[in-house]
Amino acid sequence: MTVFVYQLRLAFKSLRRNPVLSALMVVAIGLGIAVSTASVTIYYIYSGNPIPQKSDVLFHVELDNWHPDKPFDSDHPERAPFQLSYRDATAIMQSDVPTYQTAAFRGEFIVFPDDDQQRPFREHIRMCFSDFFLMFEVPFQYGNGWDEAADQTPESVIVIDSEMNQKLFGGINSVGRSLKIQDRYFTIIGVLAPWRPTPKYYDPTGDPFGKPEGIFMPFNFTPVLEVYSSGSTWGWTPDSITNHEGYMQSEMLWIQMWVQLDSATQKQAYQDYLDAYVIEQKKLGRFARPLNNRLLNVMTMLEEQEVVPDSTRSQLVVSLLFLVVCAINLIGILLGKFLSRAPEIGVRRALGASRSSVFIQHVLECEVIGVLGGGLGLAISVLVLNLINRMLSTGEHLHLDLTMVGAGLLLSLVAGLIAGVYPSWRICHVAPAVHLKMQ
Amino acid sequence: MIKMQEIRKIYRTEHVETHALDSFDLEVKAGEFISIMGPSGSGKTTLLNLIGLLDSFDNGSYVLDGEDVTKLSDRQMSHIRNLKIGFIFQTFNLIPDLNVFDNIDVPLRYRGMPARERRTSIEEALSTVGLVSRMKHLPTQLSGGQQQRVAVARAIVGRPKLILADEPTGNLDTAMANDIMDLLEKVNESGTTLVMVTHDPDLARRASRQIHLLDGSLIDLKTQDSHVPLINAVPAAFANADC
Repeated sequence: MTVFVYQLRLAFKSLRRNPVLSALMVVAIGLGIAVSTASVTIYYIYSGNPIPQKSDVLFHVELDNWHPDKPFDSDHPERAPFQLSYRDATAIMQSDVPTYQTAAFRGEFIVFPDDDQQRPFREHIRMCFSDFFLMFEVPFQYGNGWDEAADQTPESVIVIDSEMNQKLFGGINSVGRSLKIQDRYFTIIGVLAPWRPTPKYYDPTGDPFGKPEGIFMPFNFTPVLEVYSSGSTWGWTPDSITNHEGYMQSEMLWIQMWVQLDSATQKQAYQDYLDAYVIEQKKLGRFARPLNNRLLNVMTMLEEQEVVPDSTRSQLVVSLLFLVVCAINLIGILLGKFLSRAPEIGVRRALGASRSSVFIQHVLECEVIGVLGGGLGLAISVLVLNLINRMLSTGEHLHLDLTMVGAGLLLSLVAGLIAGVYPSWRICHVAPAVHLKMQ
Repeated sequence: MIKMQEIRKIYRTEHVETHALDSFDLEVKAGEFISIMGPSGSGKTTLLNLIGLLDSFDNGSYVLDGEDVTKLSDRQMSHIRNLKIGFIFQTFNLIPDLNVFDNIDVPLRYRGMPARERRTSIEEALSTVGLVSRMKHLPTQLSGGQQQRVAVARAIVGRPKLILADEPTGNLDTAMANDIMDLLEKVNESGTTLVMVTHDPDLARRASRQIHLLDGSLIDLKTQDSHVPLINAVPAAFANADC
C-alpha cells in the first residue's frame, strides 16, 4: 500500500512536470469520455426497463384484425397491429381473468381554468380505466385514482399530474376542486406525484420519450364526449367514417390494451379467452387473418415497437470507437514522454525498482490521466445532455445517474489502460544499464 | 562478498559478436576496497553492470554475499539490489525534480519502509555526508560536489553491504574529489565493501586492491602490499605485464 501511494504521488509529480502536455492528454480523454458517456446515457435511458418490478407480468394485448392478404408489418409477418379497435377493446374489457386491465388512448380537450387570469388551453388527456393507476403503479401526491364504479357510470372525476396541478393551482392539494373540460365540470380526485416513465411504455406510439398526459379521465367518457384519438390511428378498410359512432364501430385501430397476468395459468386462461373471442368474431365475418392473438410483456413490446432507434445504437458504437481513437492517439505521446524518462527509470531500477513496479507506476500515471479526463468528460456530458434536453424540450429527461457516472469512470479507466499499457510495457523493459552511463 | 567464476558476456548485433568479458573470475572479500582500472572499452562498465545485477551474463556463475544470483528473476534481482547494493555514478544521476530528501528516499521507498524509519535513516545519511541543512534543496541548487555527496548518501542510506562507484570523482575538481574519496573510505572503514571504477591512478592507489582490465580480461591483480595475483584468470599473453 505504501509503495502504491508512493507510485501515485510519482504519477501526479510526473503530470505536473509538463502541465501543458498533461492537460492536452486529459482533454483528449475527456472529449472521448464526454461523447461516449452522453451516448451511453441516451442508449441506457432509451433501452432501459421502465417498470422492472412488473415488466414480466404486464402484457400488451394484440389481436390481428388487419388486411386478409397483407400482414400488418411485411418485414415481420408474425406480428399483429399494436392497437385495437374500440369495439374489440371494450369487448375484451369484459373479461374477469386479468388481475388488472385497461384500455386506453390519448385524446385532446380544451381546458378552461377557473382562474380568470389564465386562458383556456388544449391539453392531452389519457382516457383509461381505474386499473391504469394500479397496474402501472402510478404515484400519487394527493388523493387517489377513481374506482370501478366511476368507470362504469362514468363519474365526472379526473386525475391530474403534478405539473398541471402546479399550473392550475400553484401546487397545492387540489383534490376536490373542479375543472371545466370542454363543456363539463370534472372533480379532481387525485394529483400525481412527478412521474416520468421512460420510455412511455404504456403508449409508445408517437413519441415514446414524451411526457405522460397531464389529465387522466375515465375511458367511458369516450362516447359521451365523442373523443377521438389524438395519437396514432391505423386502418386498412375503405369505410367512410362520418360521425363518432361510426368511428367507434369501425375497424380503425387506436386503442392500447394492457392486462396484468400474475401467473402462467392466468396468462394461458387469458390467451384462451382472447382466442375464443376472435373465433367468435370470425363467425361474424371479422378477423380474416389466421388466429394471431399476442400477449407481449413490456420489454418484448418495446423491442418490437423498436423504441430504441437504430441511429442510437450506431451512435453508441461510433462514440465508443471515438473514445478508443482518443486513447490510441495518446499511446504515441505517452511513449515519447516515458522513453524520455529512461535515465530516471535506469536509476530507479538500480535502486531497487522491479520491472513490474516501473510498469505499475506508469500505468498508474495513465490511469490518473484517464480519471482526470473522465471527470472532465462527465462534466462535459452533463452540459451536452442539458443542451439536448433543451433542444428537445424534454425537461430533465436525459441526465447522468450514479450508474452512468460509474460507467463513465469505468470507461475512463479502460481508456487510460488502452493508452498506457504499451508505453508502460516499453519503459519497464528498457535496460537500466544503458542509461546509467557507467564508465 | 563477490565470487564470479568463468563469467562470459557477449554483446551481439546482427553481424558482430563482441566478447565483453571472457572466462572472467573475480573474488572480493567482505569489507574490501577494490579499484578497477582500464582503458575505455576494456569491460569495466560491463563488469560493474554484472556485479550490480543490472545486466545478465551468458556463462559462468556469480555468488553475491553467499547467495547464488546466477539465475534469478527480475523481481529477485531488484530486491537484492535494493537491499545489498548501493550505486554511485560519475554523473550523480540524481532525479532532477526530487529534492535531496526525496532523492535519498528512493531506495527506502522500494523497500516499503515505514515513514518514521525512513526519515531517521535519511537524516543519518545526510549527517554522514554533511548535508542536513540542504535537505529541501533540489539537485540543481547544489554544486557538483554536493550532488555527489547526496548520491553517496543515497547509496548508503539503506546500509548496503556493497557499494559500486562508477568514476565517482570524474566530474569533480581535485579538492572535491578528495572529499568524496575521504567519504568513501569512511564508508568502507565501517565495513561496507567498495568496488570503484576510476581512471585516476592516485585515487586507485587508495584502494586496498587494484584490478586492471583489458579487452574483457583481467591482466593484473595485486594487493597493494604484496603484488601477488589472487585470481588465476590471467591470460598467458599478459602474464608478465606490469600495470
